[in-house]
Amino acid sequence: MAKASEAAGGKVEKISLLRVLGPAHVWALGVGIVLVGEYMGWNFAVGKGGAYAALIACWFAGLLYTCVAMIDSEVTSTVAAAGGQYTQAKHIIGPLMAFNVGLYLVFAYTMLEAANAITLGYLVSQVAALSGYTGTLDQTPFIVLTILFLAWLNYRGVLATLNFNLVITAVAFVAIIVLFLSTLTGTTQLHHAGLMAGGASLPYGAIGVVAAMHFGLWYYLGIEGTTQAAEEVRSPARALPFGTMAGIITLLIAATLTWYICTGILPWEFLGDGVNGSVAPLFDASRLSGSTFLMVLLGIGTMFSTMASANGCINDASRAWFAMGRDHYLPQWFGAVHPKYRTPFRSIIFLVPIAILFALGAPLDQVITFSILSGLLEYTFMPINVIMFRRKWPLDTIKRGYVHPFHPIPAIVLLCLCAITYFAVFLGYGTQLIAMVGFYVVVSLWFHFWRYRFVKRGDQFTMPWPRPRGY
Amino acid sequence: MSFWNYMEYAAWILSVIFGLYILIDWFRIESSYSEEALTSSREGELEAMTEQHKL
Amino acid sequence: MAKYKPPHQGKLGQIIDVVVLLILIIGALRLPLWLDLAGGAKTSAAFNPAATWADLGQNTPEKIAAYNALGFDTPNNEALQNIITARYDYTINYLQLLVMIVVVVGYFFLVIRFSGEEYKEVIAEKFGDRK
Repeated sequence: MAKASEAAGGKVEKISLLRVLGPAHVWALGVGIVLVGEYMGWNFAVGKGGAYAALIACWFAGLLYTCVAMIDSEVTSTVAAAGGQYTQAKHIIGPLMAFNVGLYLVFAYTMLEAANAITLGYLVSQVAALSGYTGTLDQTPFIVLTILFLAWLNYRGVLATLNFNLVITAVAFVAIIVLFLSTLTGTTQLHHAGLMAGGASLPYGAIGVVAAMHFGLWYYLGIEGTTQAAEEVRSPARALPFGTMAGIITLLIAATLTWYICTGILPWEFLGDGVNGSVAPLFDASRLSGSTFLMVLLGIGTMFSTMASANGCINDASRAWFAMGRDHYLPQWFGAVHPKYRTPFRSIIFLVPIAILFALGAPLDQVITFSILSGLLEYTFMPINVIMFRRKWPLDTIKRGYVHPFHPIPAIVLLCLCAITYFAVFLGYGTQLIAMVGFYVVVSLWFHFWRYRFVKRGDQFTMPWPRPRGY
Repeated sequence: MSFWNYMEYAAWILSVIFGLYILIDWFRIESSYSEEALTSSREGELEAMTEQHKL
Repeated sequence: MAKYKPPHQGKLGQIIDVVVLLILIIGALRLPLWLDLAGGAKTSAAFNPAATWADLGQNTPEKIAAYNALGFDTPNNEALQNIITARYDYTINYLQLLVMIVVVVGYFFLVIRFSGEEYKEVIAEKFGDRK
């Protein structure tokens, strides 16, 4: 408790983040970031392996993320600080791992934010075309506006940001349910047999199923971002596990329904090409349903889900960047909190131009692959993290808000699924994978041999835990 | 000019407004608070007060 | 153990570090794009203006109806044929696969080793040296 008393006796009045969020906000942050994955991007999995492969990938990825959520809930209910997995890594594995994890987070979220802005720009151009506009719409201002508006919202405070997210995420989720219900009542006709006839829905056979795992991650990518809110949640030990688990259940339902609806309406070849074919598959499906109401609803759903996601991404990426600045892993200038809005404002501002830079001019599947790769590296870190956590602090040494069952089976399953996914990314996107890991090797060396000298050693360890076993 | 051309301009204008809001507020804050106060947040302080990891 | 005192980093030093990071980030993300190495190794069959729906393997009435509804009235459309015939090449280049495995495993090995060294120092300073 030395830290707390230091704070009370300090000269300067401390400015910190605000604890204002409840479990519903955690759900909104987690699902809000991810739900866009059902509105766009997951369908590249259909392209990589066919329609059935995308469904199998959806479930295996669901298993992967259930492991992620279980492991993450245990560690984060104990390590509750902004930065989430970054702070976990710092306390459990060590500084260099933490620096890498922090970068995974910033990359995964900033690239996802760029992908969202791209989709939103596309959606506006589609709406313009449907309304009878014949010229070519310049998507740039809409992309820039999305990013700046959400950055502004984030800048102004976390509570309003996540309240906004809660509403638009709920609308986007209900839109998927309504579209599904319309298939039950017969308003929307599904033709699975005709559209997936022959061997064509598994065009590559078994290897296609493996390859589809690459974009299968996209159904859920970002759910682990709930931990970034740890410093702003009123009761992290309860709200974080609850919000995360409720989030993964929501997503399993939404992902399966999305696959079922889209493969029953769109030919798989068209569905599987998310750049030239179906950029926004649920919206395309609703267009073919023949109902204007559904089309408007799913159009709004697509728009809201992209905004909710970009919004959550700005929130998470800036928290991770801020946490690293605060520890001097990055220049300490970033570790500042806005005195009135209580947000990591410099980190928010800094990440805006980077997001815009990638939203303009990079193809969607590339941007998504960058995001997925950073996520994948993070999921590989998680099982190593939890195994070391249990070893250094066995269950009887510190109190955990949540203890995940069957340890170490989830960790081993997660590690195996990650290995499969690396191979899946390698199929078709191998050079990118190597370039990305090469980047992390270079920055790791930069950190270890240069940047780490600015970091205070013992002060990084801020949790009130006993000495780890074996040290 | 059609409706959608106006929308393009509207989007640019709104972008500038949001961007300026952030920038102006940013400079205002930078000039009225000391660097020490702004970067005074420390990890684990709130944690230490609200959660006790004791069995 | 003596407490480690980090050197003070001035404004200029901080800016340089940010610029270095930015160059690395932008480099890692844009270099594969500039070099045209970025994945998506997909190839389509040559455009055939005379191809029928059946030639393209779109042989059920539901599929044709769906394409019609999407605005493709005939199969004589280059963009559409590119979408339909595009396939990934999944022949495995074992050398490249080996490079990938070495790079990924080597990377994690490197990070965990260096982290371990740094971590020992952190624990020693935080909890004091073991007697």
